[in-house]
Amino acid sequence: MGHLPSFEPRYRRAKLKMPMSEETKSGGFLKHPLHPIAVHLPMALWPSAALFDLLSRADVGGNVMVRLSFWAISLGLVSALIAIPTGIVDWSGIKKEKAAWKIGLYHFGLNGLITILFVVNLLLRLKTFRFEDQVETGPFALSIIGTLLLIGSAYLGGLMVYDHGINVARHSKHKWRQVAEAAGANVPPKQEKQP
Amino acid sequence: MIKDALEGKPLRHPLHPFLVHFPIGLFTLSLILDLISLWYPLDGLYRGAFYAIVLGVICSLTAAIPGFADFLDIRKDHPAKPKARLHMILNLIMVVTFAIDAWVRGQDLFFLRTPILPLLLSILGVLLLSISGYIGGAMIYDDGIAVGRHRRRTRTPPETIGIALPPTMRAESATGAQMIAVADADSVSEGESLRVDLSGTVIAVVKLDGAFYAFQEFCTHRFGPLSEGCLKEGQVECPWHGSRFDVRTGKVLHGPAKVDLKTYPVRVCQGKICVELAATAAKATPTQV
Repeated sequence: MGHLPSFEPRYRRAKLKMPMSEETKSGGFLKHPLHPIAVHLPMALWPSAALFDLLSRADVGGNVMVRLSFWAISLGLVSALIAIPTGIVDWSGIKKEKAAWKIGLYHFGLNGLITILFVVNLLLRLKTFRFEDQVETGPFALSIIGTLLLIGSAYLGGLMVYDHGINVARHSKHKWRQVAEAAGANVPPKQEKQP
Repeated sequence: MIKDALEGKPLRHPLHPFLVHFPIGLFTLSLILDLISLWYPLDGLYRGAFYAIVLGVICSLTAAIPGFADFLDIRKDHPAKPKARLHMILNLIMVVTFAIDAWVRGQDLFFLRTPILPLLLSILGVLLLSISGYIGGAMIYDDGIAVGRHRRRTRTPPETIGIALPPTMRAESATGAQMIAVADADSVSEGESLRVDLSGTVIAVVKLDGAFYAFQEFCTHRFGPLSEGCLKEGQVECPWHGSRFDVRTGKVLHGPAKVDLKTYPVRVCQGKICVELAATAAKATPTQV
């Protein structure tokens, strides 16, 4: 009966094994990494939600504060949906033997946990946020725990940038090369593969 | 001391980029609540947006303090200095816009749909915030401002010392050794550095263990500023990705850099730091020898 027509495995493999070039890492089109932009909303809104919870329990703002807290957590989650994949892409570009790789792993694990905590938190509020004047103890406790973990995790993310230089001078290295060459400096050969 | 604290050196993390998360998140939230109120006029959206703006203004003003300390820390002639100035001006306009916005909203908090004036003010504010936020991010990710800064505890060069050499003394045309006086020897303390531009050749001059050394300003990995690097144990460490070089020989001691630095002989004559430019330039280009 002859052979069955086969797919072209080479072609498919070539498509799957797209190299992680500088341009395919996050934010190539913006000339700015995307993950640090996307994290601003959860980083600001989840601790703010904890503050709004606290205010509501101190009888400030009434139901508006409860609603505001709900909306703040929701918008933070929407932005986390962008922050998580872009963060994974940036992390996968770090070499495993670098110290920043391990920090990134903890940062990733903590953020996954924090996101789950806030999803649960949101679900607990879903039925009551429209009419309650005070946030209940359960969701309030989750906001506080989530906020504390988030500050720790965000600090690790910050260390990756400010202590380990992850994503620093990635988009601008061609510009800096020209500056260094013009200033009479030794420069590395052009086809370098750097983290 | 206060300057170090405002720059977040004890934390190993600058304070301004941490604090700015709050105004960015809260002002964005307020605009989104406003937009939702146009389609779904729910109770509490308008007041919620008002609270978010008030908290955002308070957080903006808090973030401005370490931000200004960071601004002062950038070298006067750094390419990021104009960006930092623009970032600061845009943010000041943005805070004023949201302060007016909050005042307008404070007059009457019981709207179901956000009226046109506060909506326009919020759109303007978020637009300014997005532009200045992008510029702020570009300063970190393109220009490496505040990256690795906490490792250097001594003063960094406030500006580049520019020295225009006569054509006969320039690196490309000089024949013999030329000693060029760049600064007074006692103007540099232990662990400090100078950034010197000798008619286009930019070098870092450092004082380490009582002696002076000179090498190229730009790291050979991603061209970080070595005059702002940490100096210890006979080594200079690039602030950006931590490459370390021997200050005497320019040899790479620790990656990610792979290429050695160009070094320049330094002598102190009559109280002046003198750098020899031509001799090493000849050594670096073998065809000239």
